[in-house]
Amino acid sequence: MPTHAGTPLIEAVSLNRVYRRPRTSLTRPGAAVHALRDVSLTVGRGERYGIVGESGSGKSTLLRLLCALDQPTSGSIRFDGQEITGRPERRLRFLRENLQIVFQDPMSSLDPRMRVRDLVAEPLAALGLPAGDRVNELLDAVGLPAGAADRYPHQFSGGQRQRIAIARALAPRPKVLVADEPVSALDVSVRGQILNLLADLVDELGLTLVFVSHDLSVVRHVCETVAVMSKGEIVETGPVDDVWAAPAHPYTRALLQAVPTLEGLL
Amino acid sequence: MLTVEGLHVRADAVELVHDVSFTIAPGERVGLIGESGSGKSLTALSLMGLLPEGVTASGRARLGERDLVGVPESRVKDLRGRALSMVFQEPMTALNPLMRVGAQVAEVMTLHGRPRHEARERAVELLERVRLPEPGQIARAYPHQLSGGQRQRVMLAIALANGPELLICDEPTTALDVTVQKQMLDLIAEVAPALLFITHDLAVIASMCERVLVMYGGRVVESGPLRDVFTRPRHRYTQGLLAASRLTPRGTRLPTIAGSVPPAGRFPSGCVFRNRCPHATPACETTPALTGDGHAHACWHPAD
Repeated sequence: MPTHAGTPLIEAVSLNRVYRRPRTSLTRPGAAVHALRDVSLTVGRGERYGIVGESGSGKSTLLRLLCALDQPTSGSIRFDGQEITGRPERRLRFLRENLQIVFQDPMSSLDPRMRVRDLVAEPLAALGLPAGDRVNELLDAVGLPAGAADRYPHQFSGGQRQRIAIARALAPRPKVLVADEPVSALDVSVRGQILNLLADLVDELGLTLVFVSHDLSVVRHVCETVAVMSKGEIVETGPVDDVWAAPAHPYTRALLQAVPTLEGLL
Repeated sequence: MLTVEGLHVRADAVELVHDVSFTIAPGERVGLIGESGSGKSLTALSLMGLLPEGVTASGRARLGERDLVGVPESRVKDLRGRALSMVFQEPMTALNPLMRVGAQVAEVMTLHGRPRHEARERAVELLERVRLPEPGQIARAYPHQLSGGQRQRVMLAIALANGPELLICDEPTTALDVTVQKQMLDLIAEVAPALLFITHDLAVIASMCERVLVMYGGRVVESGPLRDVFTRPRHRYTQGLLAASRLTPRGTRLPTIAGSVPPAGRFPSGCVFRNRCPHATPACETTPALTGDGHAHACWHPAD
């Protein structure tokens, strides 16, 4: 695994997360669901790290833990050298400033009753940072017209809404951008625009990117390193080109074969 | 078998689908490609007689000798779910959450006159045909107890229940994981009598269809045999879509189509694609006709 100078930015060790199903009997507790089993990963500074898996593979659980939106049952996560598990929310400010998320569906991740200006400024307000001219600067950076600030999310197309979500995530000048299936809900022609924009921003701002997708071919375009998840475990990890060319785990092979492609036909 | 001629769909003054014509022969698998807002789902819904209130279709669409458009609801109702049926994109919203899935499969048969007990038995056979494990148990389950892939198989069982002549699938695998998607596509290809397959994903259609129609702005802008259209696209929109579908190596720019699909009624006059087209000239202010035998395109400046 490629490591950069100094400590890695994100270091997760032996993460386990067990959920309890609602109980179905008065005498016995509900069944345990192992959403994550002994997951470890290291993301270097400036690295573009991809996580691939299907629904139920545990990738969303892993993401929630990395963003400290949920606590692991056991294991540790260090962000920039600091432990983030087991901390109360008020002691996670450094994480909230430095790690921001773009969600899959910009329809449901943006409050329909807030103007774009307030949506983009909200992370700043939450952290008590001055907004100043930052909103216009951000909207410009993601390629939205200046007039966009006074409009509502429903007045934008899916791709434009995802741009708003990206502007919002970048507001507090984070070091890490976590993107959870950011292009899965978009049309192909718009997908390219958003992936290009993400690549530009990651380059310009020197961001570390954690990119989650069910599509290994998208991850291959975006990331250097990939972790393939299945049934709560990382079954394979390494440079994405190696994994693509010579998948070692049977699940990765199945995943690769299932991706529909134009190449075979043309 | 299916003949569509000059199909128009309107909502008040706004024209949503303009002069769409195509045919599907028995056993043929035809793909309808386009982005959201291109009018492909409305085309399908108008064939099914399921257009939302305030939206009306005109023109001619015939399945065999029977008219589908501009006929009373009672006639459409008789055909829908029997002669032609449809698999919708979102199985969670298309299935009734309060009914067991076996009963939902049986319902479409009793509605078309099959005795109840017979329909119940046949429902289990159908669930087996769409390769659901332990179909007897699945028939007694409610939709929320099934996975996304299983629910979509139930939708397919409902669509196949009365042995339709034509199956319409509207983005049937968009909500599914890739490995589940592949199984579902293989299954559809195997069981569909004749197929109209709607999707925005060109790679999916490449494995499914023999012929494609490309829609943009409510019009068919290109049509022809899949291999011809995908290897030698003529319309600039098709060309852009194909380029955008290929993921180039890391560190390179992905080709994109400039701008985004305008909202309904805001497409430019003349060629609907001209405000996003890198090759547009003043000639494009006049509407190009869909011309060409076999492989047709509606473009003033087609690619070679």
